[in-house]
Amino acid sequence: MSAGGTSQAMFFRARAAVGAADVGLRRTLQKARPLFVGKRAKGIAGLADDGLDFVRLRTACEEIRRRVVDDLDVWLEIFEERAVASGAEVLWARDGEEIRRHVLDIAARHGVAKAVKSKSMLSEEAGLNEALAAAGIRPVETDLGEYIVQLAGEAPSHIIAPAVHKTIHEVEALFAAEHGRPPQPRSSADIPAMAREAREVLRQHFLSADMGISGANFLVAETGSAALVTNEGNGRMVTTLPRVHVVITGIEKIVPTLEDFSTLMRLLPRSATGQTISNYVSLLTGARRSGDGEGPEKTVFILVDNGRAALAGTEFADMLRCIRCGACMNHCPVYFSLGGHAYGWVYPGPMGSVLTPLFTGIGNALDLPHASTGCGQCAAVCPVNIPLPTLMHRLREVQNEKGLRPFGERFALRAWAWMAARPVLYRTFARLAARYLRWLADDSGRIRVLGLAPGWTAGRDLVPPPGKTFHELYASRKKA
Amino acid sequence: MRLALYVTCLADLMRPSVGFAALRLLEATGAEVVVPAGQTCCGQPAWTAGNRGLAAELARKAVAELEGYDRVVIPSGSCADQVRNVYPQLLADDPVWAARAAAVAASTRELAQFLADEAGLAEMPGEFSGTVTYHDSCKGLRNLGIKRQPRELLARVRGLSLEEMADCEECCGFGGAFAVRFGETSTAIVDRKCDAVAAAGVDAVVGGDLGCLLNIEGRLRRRGDTATRVLHLAEVLAGPEAE
Repeated sequence: MSAGGTSQAMFFRARAAVGAADVGLRRTLQKARPLFVGKRAKGIAGLADDGLDFVRLRTACEEIRRRVVDDLDVWLEIFEERAVASGAEVLWARDGEEIRRHVLDIAARHGVAKAVKSKSMLSEEAGLNEALAAAGIRPVETDLGEYIVQLAGEAPSHIIAPAVHKTIHEVEALFAAEHGRPPQPRSSADIPAMAREAREVLRQHFLSADMGISGANFLVAETGSAALVTNEGNGRMVTTLPRVHVVITGIEKIVPTLEDFSTLMRLLPRSATGQTISNYVSLLTGARRSGDGEGPEKTVFILVDNGRAALAGTEFADMLRCIRCGACMNHCPVYFSLGGHAYGWVYPGPMGSVLTPLFTGIGNALDLPHASTGCGQCAAVCPVNIPLPTLMHRLREVQNEKGLRPFGERFALRAWAWMAARPVLYRTFARLAARYLRWLADDSGRIRVLGLAPGWTAGRDLVPPPGKTFHELYASRKKA
Repeated sequence: MRLALYVTCLADLMRPSVGFAALRLLEATGAEVVVPAGQTCCGQPAWTAGNRGLAAELARKAVAELEGYDRVVIPSGSCADQVRNVYPQLLADDPVWAARAAAVAASTRELAQFLADEAGLAEMPGEFSGTVTYHDSCKGLRNLGIKRQPRELLARVRGLSLEEMADCEECCGFGGAFAVRFGETSTAIVDRKCDAVAAAGVDAVVGGDLGCLLNIEGRLRRRGDTATRVLHLAEVLAGPEAE
């Protein structure tokens, strides 16, 4: 995925095969996985120390988000009114194209030559970096992971750990080239030094940038503020140092009150990284007022639809509750076998398998809702109770209803079901199949190549049946 | 008590011994056990593929075959989940079938659930000299809450000791059609499971779902492990069949 906003999701199957075969990538991901899973488990277990119960808290979080999604228009009006009253400007964007146009307009109005960016998945939805560069404005990603993938000319492969697919050696090579120094052998002990090096380079960008672009984890309706949950401090720099601050975020990110925000904050960092609270939590309200020592002269919110409003009130509205913690992908066996790039668009993992078809067109991401073993772990860990497997399943049904499944698959399923509805015929077929499979076994007693299901035997043997079916044996025993 | 044994299409075709082991265990409880004629497949493949119509058709067929028993017992968490949790919502809007599906769902138990929670079989017919590890299948674990039951039952098998492997609750990568459609990905996932099995250093890996077992067994063999046995819980509990 090179250009953000351009979906490659149609090619998931091909990309999945490549991802699964990439042993180096898998090793990198498998090292990261237990960290995510273990830290979250510890974070959730730690709730008890504060006298909190996960199930009750998650119901509370679900309710807060449900309340917003049910009356999205009302909350957005309140937010807009309060944000404008506090001195910010609020703009609306229907899609990526409108995001790009708004940002370029603002940049032109304020004579912007360089923009520093804190993480914003919405800017990925818009392919904003490419648009800025084309307009002669240099976008600099300042989240360390985003900085790394930007240097590599890639898109983030994870929503909170954008460079999780990169090894330290790959990062070292990128840094050496960008920072104009010879590459050195590196081990994990060198990570602090490498981070310091990036920080020094980024500091110059913070000081020389004209515009800061950030996302927002939440929009607080009560106060008209953007809430930013970060670990690196770059968010503070991006939102306070440049003259202009642009917040780009989805319209569904609203929470009614600060109290609601603090409830959600009990689960967001714990679900994401296992932290009880992130290193930085910022509430950004309005622009710099007279007497303020710091802050942007101009704050603009760009509130983005890009397919969200159409989900409200539908059977997929549950997905609008998502608070982008990444727990679903961190616990997904499929995600951690492939990495995020295989998913072909901005959002990977189970949440991406639901969002990508909904945002980019059901017919444009046919494989994604099937890219799940149905294990259900994503739903088990979701802090706002989104029934991800149910939503993926529902998308599969919609594909069938719209006639979008391939003919061969539909035909095979129909033929099989027709037979399964006719026991006598089915028994005969099963008897033949059992013997055929038995016959396919080689000297080792196993099947190495199965023409009917090459996907199975590409990486696995098949232990064949003994030769007679259960019902065949059972019938003959009853007779005897 | 009158029980219906739903053998499952996979056990029927791929490993009849699972069906017979379940049969012996259920008979050992002293109940009258019937293998309803005409049973084929619960329809889960159609459901998973997103074909509601075909899934409903096969659900109605299974409901008709399985109603009227005190308990329907299924040696598979994923098929039991289909009958218990999916049938009622699949047929909810069908005025004729909704109540019948709900009744069958209410009487349906996965095998380990039935044996541990309701049957009170103090001693298992099977014997096993060695160490086993247990793989928790996803649907059984997360949709039916099966966790304690198979372990309780294994503890009642003479000679057997249980050694838990790392991440025993993690998916093996089977997922029905997923295993074939996304073969490489499925293989990458099951490789992790095989690593965990190998690290546990056991004589056998045991599970309650034949799909997972075929997947794990197939990958273990392809990796060159021909020693670790891969057994269905019913086979271990019931022991080999007397000739």
